[in-house]
Amino acid sequence: MKLQLEKFGKTLISRELGSEAFKAFQPTLRELNPGEELEIDFSGVLTFSPSWADEFLTPLLNQLGDKLILLPSDNLSVGATVKILQEANKQQFRINK
Amino acid sequence: MENTKEKLLNIREAAEILGVSLDTLRRWDKSGKLVAIRKEGGTHRCYREKDLEVFSSDFFNLASEWIQSGAEFPDGFYCPTSSVFNARLTKMEHLLMQKSGFEKLYSLIVLVAGEIGDNSFAHNIGKWPDKPGTFFGYNLDKREIVLADRGLGILETLRQVRPELANHIQAVEVAFTQFISGRAPEKRGNGLKLVREVILSNPIDLFYASGDAEVRMRGPQKTFKVTRGQDIVRGCLAKIEF
Repeated sequence: MKLQLEKFGKTLISRELGSEAFKAFQPTLRELNPGEELEIDFSGVLTFSPSWADEFLTPLLNQLGDKLILLPSDNLSVGATVKILQEANKQQFRINK
Repeated sequence: MENTKEKLLNIREAAEILGVSLDTLRRWDKSGKLVAIRKEGGTHRCYREKDLEVFSSDFFNLASEWIQSGAEFPDGFYCPTSSVFNARLTKMEHLLMQKSGFEKLYSLIVLVAGEIGDNSFAHNIGKWPDKPGTFFGYNLDKREIVLADRGLGILETLRQVRPELANHIQAVEVAFTQFISGRAPEKRGNGLKLVREVILSNPIDLFYASGDAEVRMRGPQKTFKVTRGQDIVRGCLAKIEF
């Protein structure tokens, strides 16, 4: 399954909004087959903040482990935020090259 | 031909442009904060449009005076809720993306401003000592952003989880370097860490103050260091330059 993250907005800031997005994503997440991978596509995202990301990506990582894949992005905020989340959670994301 | 910038506005017009009350302008005239012109022999206050522009572009001054003494500022800079802040931040992002030379850097600048602003709301919700919300002003030609709040400030916020924090300097150091949050046991607290890292490795400068602690990260040799400032800032005050 591939998720176009920009469906949640192009300016992904605020913990409140990240938390809300994660809750709204639950029904779609339940459709994921066991063992199926979820790819996150950052195309179209303009600003990706650690507050929003921690509320959305961190629980996904905890739930899916290496079934969660981040697609490459040259957006500077995406790179910086993914890096800090890995540091904070002491866990690496699977990032496709 | 009269230069429109030299045109004199009356107090009502000035109040509308700045978004403050007539009483505020009278007070500012009296205190010297924004002195009115009086046409020869006249008692009516007048203002040059150019002077109003200069006044309202000094965000740092407006924000500092707000958090230190509750001084009023033009309401265009006030964000009472995080929704208002997010909307204005998104607008700034849109403008900054189009600025030559910032086609990639914009996202880091918006990230820094977004994290600092979001913190104001996240840590003061339900606990605002007096006026809720943030001051948020930016000038992309001057390349500066100013954010401020009259919230609890970092020391009081972090003391909820680290009661042993002795002073503002220690609290600000912890806030920018450790993964901890005043909203524990919620697992949070990465925003300011990333702000520090982004500032250190990009051509973006930051001044940040809370209590009597100051962080100045400026210029190519910048490092992260917390020092004692002369003033006490109630809440938080930040200036981002790029």
